Amino acid sequence: MELINFDNAATTFPKPPSVIRAAQEAAQTLGGNAGRGGHALAMRSSEAVFSARETVAELFGAAPENVVFTSNCTHALNLAIHGIMAGGGHLIISSLEHNSAARPAAALAKDGRISLSVAQVFPDDDRTVESFRRLIRSDTKAVICTMASNVTGQILPIRRIAELCKSRGICLIADGAQACGVLDVKLEGINILCTAGHKGLYGLSGTGLLVSDGKFPIKPLIQGGTGTSSASLMQPTLLPEALESGTLNIPGIMSLKAGVDFLRSKGIPRILAHEEEVCRVFMEELKSVPKVQIYRSPKAGYVPIVSFNVENLPPEKVSAALSEKGFCLRAGLHCAPLAHSSNGTKSGTVRFSPSVFSRPQDAVRLAKTVKEL
Amino acid sequence: MTYVIAAMPSYTYAVKAKRLLTAGGYPCEIQRSGYSSEGCGWELRIGGDSRRALDLLKSRRIPFSLSGGDEEWS
Repeated sequence: MELINFDNAATTFPKPPSVIRAAQEAAQTLGGNAGRGGHALAMRSSEAVFSARETVAELFGAAPENVVFTSNCTHALNLAIHGIMAGGGHLIISSLEHNSAARPAAALAKDGRISLSVAQVFPDDDRTVESFRRLIRSDTKAVICTMASNVTGQILPIRRIAELCKSRGICLIADGAQACGVLDVKLEGINILCTAGHKGLYGLSGTGLLVSDGKFPIKPLIQGGTGTSSASLMQPTLLPEALESGTLNIPGIMSLKAGVDFLRSKGIPRILAHEEEVCRVFMEELKSVPKVQIYRSPKAGYVPIVSFNVENLPPEKVSAALSEKGFCLRAGLHCAPLAHSSNGTKSGTVRFSPSVFSRPQDAVRLAKTVKEL
Repeated sequence: MTYVIAAMPSYTYAVKAKRLLTAGGYPCEIQRSGYSSEGCGWELRIGGDSRRALDLLKSRRIPFSLSGGDEEWS
């Protein structure tokens, strides 16, 4: 049975052939430990890693030295949250945050190290911005805001929230996991962008990014070898090495570079248009089916994600039934319980998320299968 | 030939500096630093008009320090 992946919001699959080739070539030729030695193998790896930093920096409008390679978006968010909130203070997160941001924030609050507020997100951007504005206090140090919900795909007004944060000297940490690769994401007011490498950027699993504008120092969460100033027991303070202790995932980083090159060769607007069309076809097939509820508001904008439920069927049962027919969709809370409280979907949803490789005809076949459930 | 050795805080800054200087027509090479009280590190060996090369690094706010003080080797 052919498996059709409509769970690309979790991780994109298949990967572009150029991504697989890049990882394979890295495993075969980049055997030196980047930044750790002066011999030819190490230098070759170091040069390659710097080239990857440049590629990522250009995509997001950052400086290459402010591009930090991480294991995934959760890793990046933990570095950012712990690093910015190390001295305490007040933190605001949106009501659509993934647990990758919500849990480290909640853990710090539970330990009494920070105070935490949750800003309600609405389909109406004005109301969303206002809910952030109302929560700001004199000791508010940072705001964490996803750029697009991983549950419904709702796009948040990140530019307006960035202006608000800038006017108050607050650090804005953006979770770009569902936005990068389909929206033209630039730092432009975002102080720290955290994202996955293995989703819309098409790198392999085990890759992620923290991209800083350098305005807010991030205290390292992990200390260790950096290949520099090794006589000192103190962690270096300069990015990226300050946040990259330990050996880098060089095949993963090279796959991520190839993924970004792939995006740029295809064109992000073209990728978005294709994925939106796949979503449109899927929703069109289901819009007149009374037992199917799709969670979208006409007032909001969305990345190519469609969350839905089938009446009287738990999401996990829908997902299992679809899986038997070869369709891979994720069901449940999608690690974002706050979002379900906001959306009124406490039992979860089924999530449809295409990629650049998804075919509209498969979305039609999927919709017909959903109708028959 | 005259050259200077600029100690770089990391390999990342060494490559950034090298690419900038090479594009500006200043020949330079990255090398591992010899033993110093700082431990492992990176240096940039810059040839040509090294004063102007260093000014270029400063203008781009690329951190470096001159090994053995502010002097040239030849």
